[in-house]
Amino acid sequence: MSSREADRTSSAQQTLDVLHDISQLLNTQLDRETLATCVSMIESGVNPEALATVIKELRRENASYSTARSPE
Amino acid sequence: MATALNTLVLSLVPAARRDERLRADLTEDSLHILNSHIGSSRQVDIGHISANIRAKLSAQDSLRFSNLLARLLDQDLLTRKHAVLQFMAALSSSSAQPPPIIPPLMPSISRSSPASPLSRSRRSSMIPPAVPNQPPSTAKSKAQLLKEYRARHGRPQFAEALLLRDALYLLQGISGKVVRFNENKADGELTVVFSEDPRFQLPAPTRALILRLSELGHLYVRVSKWVRDHDGRPGVGMIEQSLCHHLQSQLTEYYRLIAVLESQMSQGGSIDMEDARPIGTKDEETGLTLRRLEVWVDEWRLRMRMMSVCVEGCQDSSGGALVSLIYGYTDNGDPFVRNFTDQLLEEVSKPFFQTLQKWLFAGELHDPYLEFFVAANPELSHLQYTHAHSNINANIGALMGDGGFAGAEDDDRNQSDEARNIGLKLWEGKYQFRTEMLPSFVGESFGKKIFSTGKSLNFIRYSCHDSDWVATRNKLDHTGPGRTLKYSDIPGLVRSIDSAYQIASQRLFDIFFEKFRLLEHLRALKSYLLLGAGDFADQLMLLLITSLSRPANTLYRHNLTATLEAAVRSSNARFDPPDVLRRLDARMMEYSHGEIGWDVFTLEYKVDAPIDTVIDPDSMENYLKIFHHLWKMKRVEGALSALWNRIAAGARSFLGGAGGGGRGGGRRSSVQSEVLDDLQCEWHQIRIVLCEMIHFMRQLQAFSQLEVIECSWKELMDFITKKEGDLDGLIHAHRVYLDRMVKKILLMSPKAGKEEHLLIQLRELFHNILQFRDATESLYNYCLAEAARVDSERDHDRGVFTLPDANPLSTSHKSADLPRILRRVKEYSGLFSERAQAIVHSLQVHQDLDCRFLSIRLNFSDFYRTKKELKAAAEAQGSAKGA
Repeated sequence: MSSREADRTSSAQQTLDVLHDISQLLNTQLDRETLATCVSMIESGVNPEALATVIKELRRENASYSTARSPE
Repeated sequence: MATALNTLVLSLVPAARRDERLRADLTEDSLHILNSHIGSSRQVDIGHISANIRAKLSAQDSLRFSNLLARLLDQDLLTRKHAVLQFMAALSSSSAQPPPIIPPLMPSISRSSPASPLSRSRRSSMIPPAVPNQPPSTAKSKAQLLKEYRARHGRPQFAEALLLRDALYLLQGISGKVVRFNENKADGELTVVFSEDPRFQLPAPTRALILRLSELGHLYVRVSKWVRDHDGRPGVGMIEQSLCHHLQSQLTEYYRLIAVLESQMSQGGSIDMEDARPIGTKDEETGLTLRRLEVWVDEWRLRMRMMSVCVEGCQDSSGGALVSLIYGYTDNGDPFVRNFTDQLLEEVSKPFFQTLQKWLFAGELHDPYLEFFVAANPELSHLQYTHAHSNINANIGALMGDGGFAGAEDDDRNQSDEARNIGLKLWEGKYQFRTEMLPSFVGESFGKKIFSTGKSLNFIRYSCHDSDWVATRNKLDHTGPGRTLKYSDIPGLVRSIDSAYQIASQRLFDIFFEKFRLLEHLRALKSYLLLGAGDFADQLMLLLITSLSRPANTLYRHNLTATLEAAVRSSNARFDPPDVLRRLDARMMEYSHGEIGWDVFTLEYKVDAPIDTVIDPDSMENYLKIFHHLWKMKRVEGALSALWNRIAAGARSFLGGAGGGGRGGGRRSSVQSEVLDDLQCEWHQIRIVLCEMIHFMRQLQAFSQLEVIECSWKELMDFITKKEGDLDGLIHAHRVYLDRMVKKILLMSPKAGKEEHLLIQLRELFHNILQFRDATESLYNYCLAEAARVDSERDHDRGVFTLPDANPLSTSHKSADLPRILRRVKEYSGLFSERAQAIVHSLQVHQDLDCRFLSIRLNFSDFYRTKKELKAAAEAQGSAKGA
């Protein structure tokens, strides 16, 4: 039982590695944890394009905050 | 889900870790986006996405990507690999740009499609006031400035992506969101309507562009509707079916184009929306715009127009007419149009050429939908099989005719008449030429040739015998129409038609002349019905002369046929083939009370199929007409020569010294009756008139036989030996031959209503001559009786005892008759010369040259001059003498 669990984790690890490589290659600027979160969300049925929009939106918020705060 | 989103917010916006309110705000916002419909409409497969991604990467990177992708596909943990890829692809394209430059994108967010429900509440706060302060390096074009201006004033333009989608719908004849087709209920016309949305505005150029595109959609609707209506419907002609097929394949091409366009649009469109970027800045190379669409479909517009024209032409024409309609468009300077129509014609004319081939080489009409330019007459189609049967019937009729039962005879005659009608009717009426169905690339004269060829073959096949058909087909096969006829090979078509035409008509000629001995029949008709065989006619006249002067109802057909046989036996006619003699028959026409044998007697020549195609009942009627006339002439001629004979013989014996011989004959003249002596002068007059009549008749007969019949015959023979033309030509030649004879022998004048004027005069003249003959004969009889009386007076001198005149009354009676007889003779001879003069004069002004020549023959010595002319001549003479 535990060995199967270990198998599962290792394969998940591998998948995540591959995905991370692709993500790097495509220059998505997602770190490993965020990517894992996103993938799990997509797996649970979230619309990938909507999710991409969300990420972009959040980044823009972040950027606007940081630019808004920097002059202060 | 919510926790995952929370983590995402926290990791991406570090500021939110401190600000609780901001975090909640962002999370709610993200949820809002996720629940929206961005991109949810599209279903894309993994191959498509990976191809998209590869297109963005460099060569090395794409190789690496392929490796990674292969490894990812090996993993079975993920169920939505394509979604993950799509997600990363969407992110990657955004990050391909230098990440920090966000401001230039801002205006397009506010402008972006209404389908992306970006939170409007915060938009004003999100637009940074720094926009105008952008460095000049990213200066906007005037168009962008205008767009911004519009955006500020709340009247943005429609997103082109939306319009593009609508345009693609329009191309398929479907109404889009912004632009709709509106069908007019009354006349079914489609109009294009733009939905007026006050929030957006549609510039006029774009409108025009969309209208242009929608024309294609409109045409498409029309064409596809027609194809749907006609495909597989029963009763649609083969040519229309093949047109359907061709159009269908063209439409399939069209669908392909639309599919390509759609995939292009989805590429461009997806980027467009997710990126929220002005169209045309980045997607120049890959995306689709309205103008590009216009270029793509431009060629199709022309093609669609042609198709629509064809479809419209189909409404009111079918078959060959349709083919010629399409052919009308091949004469076009535009090579594209020409090629298209050529191609179309090649396809569409295939069934036509199949039919043509069958018709041309087999003589069979296979045209289930009445599209060919030859149409079969349904009333006559069944006749082809009955003709053999009717043939037998006619023969039986001929055999039974000898039996002599009038009733049965009539029945037979009716039947055989019916059977006789068939030949020509079959030839002329079985198939009809329909000019309107003739494709215009064939040409009228060639069409006629094709028509005639098929007809000949059909005739050979069904109306003649099978062996002929086999022989002909062999020949046709040799000349090699193994090749198929088609539109692109017009010269080959022409050659095939020519050779087939020649072979078919040649064969038909041969059959007619060799197998069915048409020439023999024509010759027999000429020698019997046109009295060409003089010995036969004389014999017949001699044998019939007594029976024909009896009333018609005392004549019997069996007597006539027996007489006819006797005449044949005693003349050269007996050397004619039995097949010809078998057909010769004598009979009586319908008679009414008071007619005598001369009026009703007629010869007859029976022909049966297929000869009756040439010698049809109508021509037979003409033959009989000529025969009656010639027969009358013959009768008059015979009567005249008999009379002359009698007078000449009588003059020697008792009529008294017609010449010196009578007077030198001894003492007899001294005892001649005074009455007879007184009549010398009358007899002389009679002889003069008789000579005149004989001259008239001889000239008339010579004219008929030599000038008319023989000359016409020669022309007919010339045609036959040339062997040109088809059966129609032969029929025509025969008809011309016959018409010419009828016109000239019967002295027909071309004036309407007066055609038979001369003929009537001539008949009266004949009648006149016969009356004269009768009167002269009674004078002759009177003289004979007188001579006998005088002779008996001298019996006493001879020492022969005779009874005193037993009947003195009769002599006195006869002597009272004499003036009356003389008056009659005078009257008739006067009438004759009057009529002859009238005839000669009307002949002099006759339209026909040959008839005018007849008048010269009759009047070679200017005997028949009018009184006026005579007077003028006398005056001229007198004045000459006076001088």
